[in-house]
Amino acid sequence: MRPAPRPVDRMTASMTVNGGPVEREVECRRLLADFLREDLGLTGVHLGCEQGVCGACTVLVDGRPVRSCIMLAAQADGCEVVTVEGVTPDSGLNPMQQAFKDHHGLQCGFCTPGFLMTLAGVEPDEHPDREAIREVLSGNLCRCTGYEGIVEAVEAAWGREGRGG
Amino acid sequence: MTARPSFIGARVARVEDDRLLAGRGRFAAEVTLPGMLEAAFYRSPLPHARINRVDPAGAAGMPGVAGVFTAEDMTDVAPFPDFDEYARPVRIFGLAREKVRYAGAPVAVVAAPDRYRAEDAVELLSVDLEPLDPVVSVEQALAPDAPRLYPDWPDNIVIEFPVSNPDAAAEFEKTENGAVTVAGRYETGRHTGVPIETRGVAAEYREGRLTVWTSTQFPHIARTMLSYCLPLDEADIRVIAPDVGGGFGVKAEFYPEEVTIPWLAMRLGRPVRWIEDRREHLTATCHARDLVLDLEAAVGPDGRFRAVRGMALQDLGAAEMYPYGFSPAFTAVGHITGPYRIPHQSVGVVGVATNKTPTGAYRGFGIPEAAFAIERLMDKAAARLGLDRHEIRRRNLIGQEDLPYTTSAGAVVDSGSHREAFEETARLTSERLEHRRARLADRPDIRVGSGIVNYIEGATPTYFMTTGHWTSHDSCSIRVNPDGTAVVSVGVSTSGQGLETMLTTLTAEALGVRPDQVRIVMGDTDRTPYGLGSWGSRSTNVASGALRKAADGLLDKANRIAAHLLEAAPEDIEVHDGAFTVRGSPGESVTWRQVSTAANIRTIDLPEGVEPGLEAAASYDPPGIEHTPDEYGRVNAAATYVNACHAAVVSVDVGTGRIEVLDYIVAHDCGSVINPQIVRGQVVGGIAQGIGGALLEQLHYDEAGNPLSTSFLDYRLPTASEIPPMTVRHFESPAPAMPWGAKGAGEAGIIGPAPAIAAAVEEALAEYGIGEITRTPITAPYVLSLLSPTGGAADEMN
Repeated sequence: MRPAPRPVDRMTASMTVNGGPVEREVECRRLLADFLREDLGLTGVHLGCEQGVCGACTVLVDGRPVRSCIMLAAQADGCEVVTVEGVTPDSGLNPMQQAFKDHHGLQCGFCTPGFLMTLAGVEPDEHPDREAIREVLSGNLCRCTGYEGIVEAVEAAWGREGRGG
Repeated sequence: MTARPSFIGARVARVEDDRLLAGRGRFAAEVTLPGMLEAAFYRSPLPHARINRVDPAGAAGMPGVAGVFTAEDMTDVAPFPDFDEYARPVRIFGLAREKVRYAGAPVAVVAAPDRYRAEDAVELLSVDLEPLDPVVSVEQALAPDAPRLYPDWPDNIVIEFPVSNPDAAAEFEKTENGAVTVAGRYETGRHTGVPIETRGVAAEYREGRLTVWTSTQFPHIARTMLSYCLPLDEADIRVIAPDVGGGFGVKAEFYPEEVTIPWLAMRLGRPVRWIEDRREHLTATCHARDLVLDLEAAVGPDGRFRAVRGMALQDLGAAEMYPYGFSPAFTAVGHITGPYRIPHQSVGVVGVATNKTPTGAYRGFGIPEAAFAIERLMDKAAARLGLDRHEIRRRNLIGQEDLPYTTSAGAVVDSGSHREAFEETARLTSERLEHRRARLADRPDIRVGSGIVNYIEGATPTYFMTTGHWTSHDSCSIRVNPDGTAVVSVGVSTSGQGLETMLTTLTAEALGVRPDQVRIVMGDTDRTPYGLGSWGSRSTNVASGALRKAADGLLDKANRIAAHLLEAAPEDIEVHDGAFTVRGSPGESVTWRQVSTAANIRTIDLPEGVEPGLEAAASYDPPGIEHTPDEYGRVNAAATYVNACHAAVVSVDVGTGRIEVLDYIVAHDCGSVINPQIVRGQVVGGIAQGIGGALLEQLHYDEAGNPLSTSFLDYRLPTASEIPPMTVRHFESPAPAMPWGAKGAGEAGIIGPAPAIAAAVEEALAEYGIGEITRTPITAPYVLSLLSPTGGAADEMN
């Protein structure tokens, strides 16, 4: 058992972000999303609702998709955080990004990093058909595409073209 | 010219995608400047109140707070001009003066080193608001003793445009055997665009120049409005629309914050940024629809519609919105006949102020409301006359032999595939319906039905009936650099639709350069010629028109230079893939680089009489657009007309009232298709939004005028699980007057879903003899109330 913490308004957060170590003093109330965007310049993290619903701010924390708008930076202390910048190759696109491009899975691109990070944190085998893909995508809101291109992109990236459902 | 490979109709990959996929988009929230402050607003929690006093002391004393301001401080700022001669002036200010008329109205603004501190300071403001009786519905607003939103008005009517067309009235007098009159009151609920990126504004004032970054669809109009409101010359204002994360019309409004934040930057001498949060967005960004069409049709015994008459009644909320929130009602009237031969109409408009968020633009812009009304009425007439719902449409649809056809609203439908699209959709839909019925036959609680609807959409409309000020043109300039690359600057402005790709494609097509030689500049008033921005399915038309004109002049000059360099005649020159060749001598060629080097650097290589330089600019006003209606409201308000037929196959759970859209079928005709992938994306995305408005989305208020839909938990956007598979067929009836024949694809998809789904639900529940579906959203409680009209009072909240 750790001793009960005393109230403080600032603390040090140490974490791994996109593979590199980060240690910063942060206000305890600072959201992980603001920390990533404003303090680290990782502006691929987008804020669409700040209510934990739209999913645009999704990042991976210890491998799992997390809404960075309703998580504190301090809560990520000791964690491994990955943003869309961390899954983008130095040149070109990763296979899921390429599939989004090939299948018109984006228009304005604002929600897109959130979709990519949700997908980066799920196991394809656990989502075997189109209905399951739609289910896993249903936690992210897109207002442009009607989701058609996104679903097709996921099927293509997961090697399921033409199977349908 | 001989035929050469064309980019038109090719599936060109979007040039925007790589940076957006990598998270390298630059949206308003990514604007950061040295010394930048962040702003937060105090917004009225009350729908209707007098502002007695704002005490800034607690907030202003907080460490780091740079200032707290109210309307009283903004004495050097003019209200938005009121341009429309028919509407009562509302005088919109950057911050509310004297009164607030909706919950969410900005009352005070705080600037602080970051948003956390700015919001802390807002909480410490002491604001004395004296509550006034709210007006929450049109009925309340029109009551003789209603509280008035604008005390100097005699009532709450913002605009009234009555129409009394005797030719329409005469049709209702023809009551021979079998002729019928059908009537209904069709209400499209209050919902709105809801882009995933909220609004945002950043501003910097340096050396007498103001730069404003704003998430807008019309940067040039924003700049002009700023010049009207702030004490600055227009030349000293630069407006930049960075990447815009969806617009859908709600960012084709000019908002009070777009004045207040720049004013704050000038006042404080420091850059200021404000990023709207979602709660603000759902109360301070325009709402839309909330339109009732009271409509009556005179129908002959053969099912042919002879006339429609009635009234468009719109709840404008507080009406403090520019461009005007009542414009969709006029657009609805302009589309009330749809693609049907209805010779006469007499439909007026009344726009009413209530204590709700002001309404404004949302994709579709009155046309979804019109389609909902006329298609519901068509289904009703079919039932009344014992006609099949398909047959009554066949008897009324415009055919090829009718074109060009002038509707009773004055729209000149130049081309289209109205019957062809209908028959194709009907055929595909009956297959899907049989398939679904067979699969769900063993589900006793499930009923399946389909609905089919047609529409036209006036694309590239006049802006005069929306703004009372701007009309319809746009501009393009092309500069060819010495290395042969071309920089194309346009007045339209993207919010994610793929305009960069479309313009790159058309430039390559027009100039014979390779696509990778083209760079598009838009969304920056310092770097682009004047234009009205992107809305109304206009960008492809107006930008391509201006591009075509500019490119033709440029190419003529380039051909003469190339001919000189090749020692050939200019009329024998062809250009393709970045190179000029002589017809019949394919071995000889010069590149755009060589031609442009001659024009810009080695001018000694130019032929006699050819001036140096390789640039061209043009403005384009699409032909045929009329800007003001006649006394019966008739006007050809758009440059061209898109058509489509939509059908939905739905299942309804008779126990729960739950509706599921199983299939969606559309045959769509937006003229020549430049990029099929982008067009399909626009159609499918629009349909998804239409399904949201038909089934899920509603901005609720309680009886006291308090907004209840202020988060994504209370305002339900469709997710991937609610959007069905779609079958999309493209028809291509080129727009006769448009370069490349395109008509514009942005708006159309959203128009069909509400009436198609309503018809499908009615058909599914036909055996229950349910009443007519007359409003959206069609929620489960609404369905249950239709199934059991005497049952318990249904909760209308979804």
